[in-house]
Amino acid sequence: MIRVELAKQLTRPRTYLTFLALTAFALALTVALSATGPGRVERVGDIPLLLVPRTSMFTLPLVALSSTMKFFLPLAVSVFAGEALAGEAAWGSLRYALARGASRSRFLGSKAAVAALFSIAAVVLVPVTAAAAGLVAYGWHPLPVADGSASTPLRLALVTFDQGQALGRLGLATAYVAAGMSSIFAFALFLSAVSSRPLVAVAGGVGLTILSRVLNVDYLPGVAVLNGYMPNNDVDLWQHLFQQPVQSAGMLHFLVLQAVYSAAFLALAWWWFLRKDVLE
Amino acid sequence: MALRNLTVAGPPPLAAVADHSARQEVSSAPAAPVVRIEGLVKRLRRGVIAVDGVDLEIHKGEVWGLAGPNGSGKTLTLKMLLGLVRPTAGKVFLFGEPVRPGARVLGRVGALVDGPGFVPHLSGLDNLRLAWRLTRRPADEAGLEPALDYAALGEALHRPYSTYSHGMRYRLGFAQALLGCPELLILDEPVTGLDPLHVRQLRAALAELVGRGTTVLISSHVLGDVQETCTHVAVMQQGRVVASGRVPDLVARFGAGKSLEEAYVALVAGPGAAGGAPGRSAR
Repeated sequence: MIRVELAKQLTRPRTYLTFLALTAFALALTVALSATGPGRVERVGDIPLLLVPRTSMFTLPLVALSSTMKFFLPLAVSVFAGEALAGEAAWGSLRYALARGASRSRFLGSKAAVAALFSIAAVVLVPVTAAAAGLVAYGWHPLPVADGSASTPLRLALVTFDQGQALGRLGLATAYVAAGMSSIFAFALFLSAVSSRPLVAVAGGVGLTILSRVLNVDYLPGVAVLNGYMPNNDVDLWQHLFQQPVQSAGMLHFLVLQAVYSAAFLALAWWWFLRKDVLE
Repeated sequence: MALRNLTVAGPPPLAAVADHSARQEVSSAPAAPVVRIEGLVKRLRRGVIAVDGVDLEIHKGEVWGLAGPNGSGKTLTLKMLLGLVRPTAGKVFLFGEPVRPGARVLGRVGALVDGPGFVPHLSGLDNLRLAWRLTRRPADEAGLEPALDYAALGEALHRPYSTYSHGMRYRLGFAQALLGCPELLILDEPVTGLDPLHVRQLRAALAELVGRGTTVLISSHVLGDVQETCTHVAVMQQGRVVASGRVPDLVARFGAGKSLEEAYVALVAGPGAAGGAPGRSAR
């Protein structure tokens, strides 16, 4: 079933358009940053990290991850997960896939597996494209990072990562962002099982991201009690990986939260789909 | 991608692969009906009862027509037969086995229900190949070539499905229903949008399948076709079967011996029909 699903999705124009858009964004970012002054400092995230783009190829994937993780990547993940089942229902092919006695659990599993694979590919594509562009533009150099939260007007908390360290931490940061998309993925998949309209499921995934950003203590101090439990708030904590020492407590809390949300939404999707009346 | 991997080497002709009449019963016990529906009820949201206590039994080799006005519950009944919709009450058996989502017995059924549905960016041929691969049965059991012969799509078979006309989509849908040479064929309004030539081809294909022992259940508004093609008919109204039996018997009893259309009008629109007369049988 996974091969069948791969055959459907790999030949689908939407898949390529999504990947193309993410690649174009990463390349456009490289061009834009290259056009700035040679010593310009980029502020990345809320911690914040201070990077000078032209000093190392590794600055670009960090800026690219930071600028896509709050909207573009959730949108791409919502598209892949949200269209998984609702897309088939909208085409009218869902009833024929199931009418021949295909196991609904296996069908859902194959859909979820392929959508997850494409979602991970989308997350990985952004830093990989940016790193490749950065390599061409700035070369293979160590990554100097100034920790804005630890710096004072008199002392700059500067850490330099050699190429191996930078590559390793970039890989961990990418994996963290990918894991941070899992709750959105699972929610969009659940909506895809419930609705026969792909747009509803995609909008639901994006809506959860927006809700998570809006109910943020930085904007609404009154919701401080919710802050640690919103599914997308702390996706930017990967920036801790580039501090010295690494502060992993918040990251671990976020990963556990992702696991709980994902398990809950995936279980709901499975429960619903097994009982769903395929009326479309 | 491996779409091309599913090739059908030397497919047997339709007549050979679909010959269900030659099957020998190994037991002396009477064979279970192909379809048995007992007290089928489907209550939709907001309490609307779309199917209300349907009983039906279809035996091997019979060709049943399901007639009734729009919204009378025909398509929903067919979807419950296919395990796509869960009944609120009642039971459905195919070949003696209870139907539930994912039941293996559904592999013996081919269906075209509620119109065709395919992946729009794939060709008709790739759609059929993928549809068959989902069944996880060997490629040489697909009977792809005879199904494609019926579809008669020519070079269009290699074009994206999204470029197909209405009639081409229905022909591809019928071809999909024929995959695996099913013992029970369920068709919901199969002539919708077909031109007269393809209607004639569909009738010929059905006649051939019936001749080979395939059991057929057709939902249709084209009562002339039902009278010509079917051995039996069930008329539904407001979710109930208001009359069922052999076509000539229904015509004689409710249609003054004229036509099935006369019988249908008398049953559905005639005096006393509004309240329904569930279970009237002309057997």
